[in-house]
Amino acid sequence: MSQPAAQLLASAAFVLAAAALAYRQRLGLSRSLLTAALRAAVQLAVVGALIALVFRVPVLAIAFVAVMVTTASLTAGSRMRALPGARRIAVSAIALPALSAVGLLLLVGAFAATPRATIPTAGILIGGAMLATTLTGRRLVEDLTAGADEIEARLSLGDRARDALVPLTRRAIAGAMVPLVDQTRSAGLVTLPGTFVGLVLGGASPETAARVQLTVLLTLLLVQLLSALLTAELVTRAATLPGERVLAL
Amino acid sequence: MSTSVAHRIDGLAVRGLAVGHGERTVLRDVGFAARKGSVTALVGPSGAGKSTLLRCLNRLLLPHGGSVLLDGEDTAALEPCALRRRVGLVGQTPVMLPGSVRENLAYGLGADGTDSADDGRLSDALAAAGLAADFLDRPAGELSGGERARVALARALTREPELLLLDEPTAALDAAAARHIGATLTTLARDGLGVVVATHDLAFAAEVADQVVALRDGSAVVGAPAELLAERAR
Repeated sequence: MSQPAAQLLASAAFVLAAAALAYRQRLGLSRSLLTAALRAAVQLAVVGALIALVFRVPVLAIAFVAVMVTTASLTAGSRMRALPGARRIAVSAIALPALSAVGLLLLVGAFAATPRATIPTAGILIGGAMLATTLTGRRLVEDLTAGADEIEARLSLGDRARDALVPLTRRAIAGAMVPLVDQTRSAGLVTLPGTFVGLVLGGASPETAARVQLTVLLTLLLVQLLSALLTAELVTRAATLPGERVLAL
Repeated sequence: MSTSVAHRIDGLAVRGLAVGHGERTVLRDVGFAARKGSVTALVGPSGAGKSTLLRCLNRLLLPHGGSVLLDGEDTAALEPCALRRRVGLVGQTPVMLPGSVRENLAYGLGADGTDSADDGRLSDALAAAGLAADFLDRPAGELSGGERARVALARALTREPELLLLDEPTAALDAAAARHIGATLTTLARDGLGVVVATHDLAFAAEVADQVVALRDGSAVVGAPAELLAERAR
């Protein structure tokens, strides 16, 4: 059997086994397991075809990255839709740090300026920025609601609206960075990160794979911190009302 | 000009105040004066707009119409943070900020270089709220409900406000602790502080207040505590 056929057969067998097991255990999960698998298959087939097209017509890479930024912004924006201008906040907090980092990495020659190198790198950095934006924004929206008494107490003691929000934004930023710090600390010990696995499967030497993975992980640290800081700043502006007051959510 | 001088009130003067939440009118044409050196009780059923009115007095909420004057000056023209230091507010839930009681009391003092947070000042505020000075080093998060209410009151007093607004200060307290808070408020007023207290407890209002502002259906009726008790008895 050819390798592609074996891959398809093995993965189909595994998902069918999972669905059968869930059915036997009466977990009510069989249908969602199968539809999720089918959805993943269709999405990856379409993306595969699109990327093949982009590799032939490099200028399409720009459109591809724009679609990634848009999707990430819509996802992150929906997590803080209680705030006015949530989507605008998400676009800025994701696009600015992620795209600047991609630009810098290309500029210094860390990656070749080809769609093959740019698209995966941009994808990882945009995904990371989306995670930081979502976590920071969602926590801030929760705290603006649950912490209304604390904010009012600080305002009543004479704080400016911006200062009254500082403890909330610090907590949200620190919380958002925890998953990335853990991921970076455990890289190679608990899991083998995606870039590393992909490069090794694609035929690169483990040494090259480790170097590229490290570049991506360390870039992500700054990109995600900047996304969290930008989200906090933009949410603070959106939640601050004239007359040193804070928006009640 | 001469009219405003003639009508100048030493304290807060509320004139024709109107407030709404969205489409709903909460208060309309509310007027009364809360003088320094006296206790004013805002009474009325839940949802009558007592908390809303208190928050208009230090501009945490902006009214749709009317005005609030402090010593004859429109509060809309005052810098909001400076106004809130002159007109303190103690909310219904006594929020303790992280750290010790000392850190809570000193919060924000000295930030603008005009106030200092020396222990004497903090102990004085604690004493005025009925707590001993040895509370200063206690972690604020470990205090009981009654102690928190007193620390929140002391924290507002460290700013040396001219008027103090309190939202349901006895809501979480037993009868003895409520009487203690009542006695504290009357003492503070005797020393020159203007006190405005929102409460649903008519007996407490009658005990501490020099005047009562009763809110009903969005309007206010101003009277003496004796009238309030008489009306209640009927």
